[in-house]
Amino acid sequence: VSADHQLKQAVAAVAAEGTDPDALSAVLGWLVRPQRSAEGLRRRCLEDPHDAPPPERLRRAAGRVDATLGGALLPVVRAWHDRDVRVAVLGDPGYPRRLAAGWPDLEAPPLLAWRGRPVDDRPTVAIVGARRATGYGTGVAAWLAEEVARAGVRVVSGGALGIDAAAHRAAVEEPGGTAVVLGCGHAVDYPRPHATRGRLFDQVVEAGGTIASELLPWQLPRPGSVRARNRIVAALADVVVVVEGGEHSGALLTASAAADRGVPVLAVPGDVRAPGSAASHKLLAEGAGPCTSPGDVLDVLPMSVATVPADATAVATAGATGDRTSHGPSAGTAEVAAPIGPLPPVVHLALVRAWPRPLRVDELAAASGCPPAQLLAALTRARVAGVIAEGVDGVRLRRSPVAGRPATPDDGVDVAGPPDPAPTPGT
Amino acid sequence: VTAAPHGVLAVTHGVALVGLDARPVRIECAVGAGLPGLRLTGLPDAAIREAGDRVRTAFQRQRLAWPQERVVVNLAPADLPKAGTGFDLPLAIAVLAATRQVPVEALRGTWAVGELGLDGGVRAVPGLLPAAVGARDAGAHRLLVAPRAAPEAALAAGLEVLPVADLADVVALLRGDRPVDAAAPAAATTERSVDDLRDVRGQLIARRAIELAAAGGHHLLLAGPPGCGKSMLARRLHGLLPTLRPEEALEVAAVHSLAGERAPDDPLSLTPPFREPHHSVSAAGLIGGGSGVPRPGELALAHRGVLLLDELLETPRFVLDALRQPLERGEVRLTRSRASVRYPSAVLLVAATNPCPCGHLGSPTRSCRCRPDRIERYRARLSGPLLDRIDLQVEVRPVTREELAGPPDGEDTATVAGRVEAARAAAAERWQGPSLNRDVPPTVLRRTCRARAVRSLARAADALGLSARAFDRSLRVARTAADLSGHPDVDVEHVEEALAYRLADPVPSA
Repeated sequence: VSADHQLKQAVAAVAAEGTDPDALSAVLGWLVRPQRSAEGLRRRCLEDPHDAPPPERLRRAAGRVDATLGGALLPVVRAWHDRDVRVAVLGDPGYPRRLAAGWPDLEAPPLLAWRGRPVDDRPTVAIVGARRATGYGTGVAAWLAEEVARAGVRVVSGGALGIDAAAHRAAVEEPGGTAVVLGCGHAVDYPRPHATRGRLFDQVVEAGGTIASELLPWQLPRPGSVRARNRIVAALADVVVVVEGGEHSGALLTASAAADRGVPVLAVPGDVRAPGSAASHKLLAEGAGPCTSPGDVLDVLPMSVATVPADATAVATAGATGDRTSHGPSAGTAEVAAPIGPLPPVVHLALVRAWPRPLRVDELAAASGCPPAQLLAALTRARVAGVIAEGVDGVRLRRSPVAGRPATPDDGVDVAGPPDPAPTPGT
Repeated sequence: VTAAPHGVLAVTHGVALVGLDARPVRIECAVGAGLPGLRLTGLPDAAIREAGDRVRTAFQRQRLAWPQERVVVNLAPADLPKAGTGFDLPLAIAVLAATRQVPVEALRGTWAVGELGLDGGVRAVPGLLPAAVGARDAGAHRLLVAPRAAPEAALAAGLEVLPVADLADVVALLRGDRPVDAAAPAAATTERSVDDLRDVRGQLIARRAIELAAAGGHHLLLAGPPGCGKSMLARRLHGLLPTLRPEEALEVAAVHSLAGERAPDDPLSLTPPFREPHHSVSAAGLIGGGSGVPRPGELALAHRGVLLLDELLETPRFVLDALRQPLERGEVRLTRSRASVRYPSAVLLVAATNPCPCGHLGSPTRSCRCRPDRIERYRARLSGPLLDRIDLQVEVRPVTREELAGPPDGEDTATVAGRVEAARAAAAERWQGPSLNRDVPPTVLRRTCRARAVRSLARAADALGLSARAFDRSLRVARTAADLSGHPDVDVEHVEEALAYRLADPVPSA
């Protein structure tokens, strides 16, 4: 285990303890005693995350601060502290579970430093692509991102210009939110248009999203670090969508990292003659799924929302939380598991039960108990997302709820049944 | 009784109505040397020329002296077209004063509107309310009218309305022999129909649509097979409209008075009007018309209320097109050779239509027999400028037998009307006036929308292929949806709901 690795872990644990730099230096001394190996630290963190050193022990330890190490680390800690960055090492409660899942074989980062909310287990889609994007590419990225984020799905990407930025921007205000994984440290303003105060990154944090990095504060973006960043993006996602990218695009690295972890990869088709769409078409040729609408993305997400935080679920079941709760039987369905998508669970269930017969909107309102205003809004969303088909005789799900789904119409009632006992997505 | 000496000039006033516009008419009467007879000058129409005979006979029947000299009556201004029989009474008063049967001073500030019978009795004429308002605004202090019409005329606040039954009454009043009590204004009533929303079974989407229509004043199109309850829904929508404010009720009563649609002794109705012309109605019947001075049509009669056009597509296209401008401006402008008039037409249009010529397209129980090209042509008549003014478009399906047999399942009119009133109040406060969201320009609307709502609308417009007008339409309805839910700003969910109220071209479900 390298000294750098040990350093990172130590700093991470320190920063996680608190925000007072003086107290931090005390903790630091306790942590970085030479006899404490990184492996021991990891074991302690993994096996008993609650075994934090008690305060009086910390105070005693303060006397034993290693001056050299402390002197080197304190600025690091301060730099994070000044930027409201929190840090967790592998195994900490705050460390993203899905990132830890593949460790150590897939080189999970030993520490993760982030601004904003910690990365939780909600369903996540990575939308990645080239910095030099066309209007078509950014348009599609924004469309996909906003629609899936509105359905409670987080959009993760690399925070770069072009496709990444379009996806972040579109999702930032939606219930699913967005997470940026930087290819540099938190103290580096890169890319400058996004890192400038008040711009995209600040907006992401303000809206409840996350800016994450595995690097120390002043580490600059290098080709290697950006590639390493892509593997984190892939690891955080339940599905990776490549929108646009050239022949040697970094998006291909994200896709292969996803493939390594068994995460499905979708690619947005482009103009076959455009060099900017080469990555997408290469992936399609290699068997990636075509992505032509937000519905395609939602379709490959896990069925259960048992792990979606309460606020996202509330949005997905807006009918139940509306001002007229007494109006329909949908009240209280917030706890019920349902598919990820723009349709409230009760509406989706009614369509699944009727499938493949279409339902008129009035019938759907009666069958689902969803108040008309919310139902109509949800149907518009679903229409735009392309998950429903419309005809003179009503609406129905565009795809069979049987194929590629854990539930079928016969046992399809289960989609509204109790939450899946093992709800960790991406495993 | 002796004849008046030469040179006495009596002046009183009447009112000429040009549409709803009341113009003061000065009536001058001079009696002088010449062959006995009456000469009327100042562009009188046939009905006024006949007034001479009526007035003279009335004088005789009432045992009043008719001068054995030449009587000249001038109606000024001469270039104003004057019509109708309402000038009988002021004309008689002018003659009475000119012949000193009543004091000339008593005529100051005294106006009169009324027709005379041969027996000398005073009768009411149509349009008394606008005439009384016009008289008041032109400086009248007191107005003499038929007793039956007095309550209606007295609705013009600030005007002393004196009922006179016949010419003898007039003489007694003007001489000060007998005091006459000023008439009390007609009582206000708010008679409501007994049709309650609670009786509507199912129809959840349509119920929501009429709530939105009532709250934002949005025009509504209901498409559905015969017998699915379209006109029943329109009547429920009428029941959701708030009671008229007194000044609105006066506007309504003025039009109805002019059109002879209300008896002059009817109470003032605070209920918004509900008009339901047959689909064979002519353009003139709908928007108003006629030679000379055009009369108000169904549009004006439905002012501040609901105009239901059933079987919209059976009405000829040019008749429908005539609706466009009045709906946009809230008033009908009609120009004829002799006059140009405006009638108010702030109506809530409810249009009902079959989904196809036979009416059974999309019905779960009957099959449609129309050829596809006929359906296309039928629907094409719907599209176009008029449809662009209809913010809410919903399909109505027939109620199922289960729903009919079941218990009432929805809210009642009072509950929904409460929400409608609150939403209208919120809109009125925001727009700083009694404006409806229907009438607010899109640029102003947009200022009350969250940026992400507009973004989402723009993208949906792209994805669903909406026109710019449909875009604005959705914005208006979204504003009302936000008002109904008590949101100060329009958010994504409101826009999304609004986008659902349009008749999409049915695409075969593949």
